Amino acid sequence: MGPMGVKWTIRVSSSLDEVMASLAGERETYALQDLKNGHYQFAKSSTWQPGFHTLGDYRQTEPLKALFFPAREFIGKWKDPSSRKPMPERIVFGVKNCDLSSLAIFDQVFLQGVCPDPYYAEARAKTILVSSDCNSQLDVCFCPAVGEQPYATKGFDINVASTPLGYIIESGTEPGERLLQSAQQYLEPAHEELLNSLKTQRAERYRELVELSQAHGLEPGTDFRTAIETTFESGLWSDFAEDCVECGACNFICCTCHCFLLADGMDADGTAARTKLWDACLYSGFAATAGGGNPRPLRAERLRNRFDKKFSYFPQVMDRYACDGCGRCTEACIANIDIRDVLRRAVDECDALHAHSSDHRAN
Amino acid sequence: MSATLYMPIPAIIERIEDETPDIKTFTIRPVEPIPFAAGQFVELAVPGIGEAPFTPSSSPKISEYMEITIMRTGRVTDWLHTMKEGDEVGVRGPMGRAYPIEEFHDREILIVGGGCGVGPLRSLMLALLEDLQHYARIIVRYGARTPDSIVFKDAQMHGWGQGDALDVMLTVDEAAPGWNGHVGLITEILEEDYLDCHASDGIAVMCGPPVMMKFGTDKLLERGYHPKNIYLSMERNMSCGIGQCGHCRLGRYYICKDGPVFSYQEVQANPRLWDD
Repeated sequence: MGPMGVKWTIRVSSSLDEVMASLAGERETYALQDLKNGHYQFAKSSTWQPGFHTLGDYRQTEPLKALFFPAREFIGKWKDPSSRKPMPERIVFGVKNCDLSSLAIFDQVFLQGVCPDPYYAEARAKTILVSSDCNSQLDVCFCPAVGEQPYATKGFDINVASTPLGYIIESGTEPGERLLQSAQQYLEPAHEELLNSLKTQRAERYRELVELSQAHGLEPGTDFRTAIETTFESGLWSDFAEDCVECGACNFICCTCHCFLLADGMDADGTAARTKLWDACLYSGFAATAGGGNPRPLRAERLRNRFDKKFSYFPQVMDRYACDGCGRCTEACIANIDIRDVLRRAVDECDALHAHSSDHRAN
Repeated sequence: MSATLYMPIPAIIERIEDETPDIKTFTIRPVEPIPFAAGQFVELAVPGIGEAPFTPSSSPKISEYMEITIMRTGRVTDWLHTMKEGDEVGVRGPMGRAYPIEEFHDREILIVGGGCGVGPLRSLMLALLEDLQHYARIIVRYGARTPDSIVFKDAQMHGWGQGDALDVMLTVDEAAPGWNGHVGLITEILEEDYLDCHASDGIAVMCGPPVMMKFGTDKLLERGYHPKNIYLSMERNMSCGIGQCGHCRLGRYYICKDGPVFSYQEVQANPRLWDD
């Protein structure tokens, strides 16, 4: 058996900081900073900084997507052949599974389409992702409801799980494995007891998140696609739209929302230039066409469209929801719209309709 | 590739022709040829101002230049209409799925156009006319608001240069002095009195404003056309043109990469199909 698949722990003579600093090396480093107010943020540095950087107990506030799909990306000047300067090698520490899983959506959109985006491809190729298990959760978390879990099973270069008995470190890709090999002086194979404690810890963590989801009426394995498609004409959309102020915060903060705008304008030196900006489907002009047409003139239609895209479109084209249960939209909504309430109402209405139609069949 | 993914290549406006008071045909010559197939679209940019999707109206056999027929109807098109011959624009493309022209061989083809939607249809017409012997029959039915707003007047009046080889009929919603043709909606000239067709195995290709396509499609279905044989040129605000930016989604499709040409069968289940 090759080295991939070996689970390591940190030697007693060594520390997490040493291992993380070794993995970071000379790479541009993004790791979590505890803001001591319940939030983490990515703090950029030239390497891992002990005492400042942490792996974090749950996801940071801003979505991981921003490191691959920047909120504002300069595309170029008109007729300017100069190419962009290459991106440095990067490493990101403390990525949680919700964010890690969301990258599959971006890979599909920006790499698998008719014309891959070379900037996104470069960012992916030059970034090492070090994920870590969630050791706690936020009140807004509901990952089990959408088929996710609070630890990574794929998509990471290296995963670090922290248990009271010690760390468990494993690689998920060749580049991750090479990095771990280079840090061998700090590592030793994890023993059985440690591995078993992680299994128990993960099961416990998952169970707590299931209970949190259930407390909001969402069961793991619920068919949200059918629920959203069935409630297309429901009044639920206009009910929630009464509170929505279409600020677009849910779009921007979402770990899977990928829509963007190509904005043309003049650069400081007067040259025509183009910038790629995040866009929000809640905005009234998002789908507007020349001549004053708009396929979604009503806020309720735009709110519905957001759910339709996440729970109907992506299941159709990719066999997964474009929602990882990170709860950022709930956190960000100034109108207090909780995505779990929207989903639960759609599921309840869908169930009621089906119960109603089986009653009819029974009669 | 990276340069043209989101950035257009330069093109010179060689010629501008007035079609109607608010429609002009621009002939543009890009710095490198853009081979396209009828029905595909390009993103045309006014540098520093903005970009919008258009389907060329010229023959797909020519890639060195293309004609694009543009109605003044928004920010980018307002700018374009102020531009002069010799000015520079940007172009990206071609994008999207073309008319499946090889499937039209030996069939009767009914082309139904409304307003400025006749632009893409002209490109298709020119492609069909190149190989006229491959098609059983070509019928054109075109509707405009007024005689003034008819695009490509000469070409259409004279059967696209083919005289009687084509069955061409025009209608206007409102007549004006000097108009001797039909007055009424496009759906009227799709009725039996005005359209003798082999609906059961014929191909119908339609392009125009959503409301015209909606009622036009209903009429064609009523006449017996099969949903899989009715081809529609759908439109949304295609921006990136390559299925990434999210603006032109229609159900499970992006108009830009899965369309803009769809058979009615592919899109008929969408409850928001005709929303514009």
